Amino acid sequence: MSLSNTRTLMAELRQRMGEDDPMPSRREPQRIPDPPVRVYPKPRRPSRFAKEAAAHTTALVGIGRVGTRYATSVVLQFQAELAVAHSAVATVLPDEWAAENGLLSLNSRVEDHRQFLLRPDLGRRLDEDSLSRLREQATKGVDIQPILADGLSAVACMGSGVALLEHLTAECEQRGWTVGTPMCARFARVWLEDEIGQEVGAKVAVILLGERPGLGTGDGLSAYMVYKPEVGKTDSDRNMISNIHQRGIPPPEAAHRLALMAGAMLEQVTSGVTLDLGPLTTELGDAAGTGLREPQVREPLVFVGEEGEGR
Amino acid sequence: MILEPLLPSILSVRRIPNADPALLRAYGADPEKHTSLGLLTCDQDDPVYVALDEATKHASVDVVFAKSFWAGAGSASGPLSGEVLGVIAASDPAEIDEGLAAMIRCLEHDACFYGANDDGSIAVFPHVISSLGHYLSAEAGLPVGSAMAYLVAPPMEATIGLDAALKAADVTAAKVFTPPTETNFAAAWLTGSLPDCEAAAVAYAEAVVAVGREPRQL
Repeated sequence: MSLSNTRTLMAELRQRMGEDDPMPSRREPQRIPDPPVRVYPKPRRPSRFAKEAAAHTTALVGIGRVGTRYATSVVLQFQAELAVAHSAVATVLPDEWAAENGLLSLNSRVEDHRQFLLRPDLGRRLDEDSLSRLREQATKGVDIQPILADGLSAVACMGSGVALLEHLTAECEQRGWTVGTPMCARFARVWLEDEIGQEVGAKVAVILLGERPGLGTGDGLSAYMVYKPEVGKTDSDRNMISNIHQRGIPPPEAAHRLALMAGAMLEQVTSGVTLDLGPLTTELGDAAGTGLREPQVREPLVFVGEEGEGR
Repeated sequence: MILEPLLPSILSVRRIPNADPALLRAYGADPEKHTSLGLLTCDQDDPVYVALDEATKHASVDVVFAKSFWAGAGSASGPLSGEVLGVIAASDPAEIDEGLAAMIRCLEHDACFYGANDDGSIAVFPHVISSLGHYLSAEAGLPVGSAMAYLVAPPMEATIGLDAALKAADVTAAKVFTPPTETNFAAAWLTGSLPDCEAAAVAYAEAVVAVGREPRQL
């Protein structure tokens, strides 16, 4: 079929009159939807149990969400706390730190930090030099032998370790017990207390060492106590208190509880699962291993973003 | 943007394959010659006149009825009325189909009004027919096959535009429709060589735009 030339003529005229617009007509830009807002889920029926349970944990519950994901502040907080944990694990106790703090310096059979992380068995025995040093310099036949150690967090050991050791020593001397030579073990695992206690002939050995760092708790100490230490004791022979740091159990309070526990061991001539801590429940709290944990408020070690947001 | 096509809307298309002789006579057909009718309404009248002429070039049909409605599509009697009814007649329904198809092609792709101002409220129809069919040649009194500029605009714009068109090229006025027509527009049919008709149509459109931009010169 034949079309007339009219449309072409008009298009040329339009161009000649300067009214031509080579661009297609403008379209309104599509409206970009707002990003999802942060939502704190509201249970349809408020659960008293969930509220009660959340009060008894420091776990990250009730942190809200954005869309299907964590809020930025939560992610940043998580990354910051994880970084604290990583750096605590990676920290090595300096060689001369024990001497500088007036402690008898001991070393396990571990040679370097990497080996320490990979070979727990080597961390449970003293090397030859340390053993002879211990035999020469340590007081023998004591009631209680406290041992400070780096464990998995040298940061914690260097932080509140000395304070805890001093408080514990004071608590024990106050009760009229003989306390062993203050010492510090490097690259140490919990079971190292068995060999040391055996060598010094202590009735009770207690090792105060940095605990495995968790989220935002790179500075926590644990104390493991054993009656009549000797190589071959197992974990069922031990009692322990964990979370010893300023936001958990403060060192003076922890020292008091440890002294009570040591007292029970000396009295009952045993430790571990056979030790009856029932009479001390009120003083020891959750360390007695019975009863409900007291409600705790989560106090982060590091703060990220606006303080208090999302908690 | 000016001089954008204002596309016509075809509002209804129907066929009567075997029409009653009384109806044929009433609509100007000859019952001796014609049996079938094809009908079309549209919201722009002048494109339909061009399309009807186009149909006579593509099929053996006669345009028997073509009338605009009073005051145009803005005052239509119903949603299918628009401002024009065109009727073609033929002895064979197949010719009607072919003629209607040619009309629809013409209305969809060729003949249309253009907006002479930015919002398209001034409409101009500066259409150039390169070769007339039976219908418009008879209406204009021109030989079949001659070129024609079919120019329509509102009264003032049409008058100024016609003067500009006649002066712009070597064309003669075959017919001038002074206002008011049925739809209150004014029109003119100019003839000449095809390039002259095209130059006249362009000058007409340009003048209509100019009047729209400056309605009062004093």
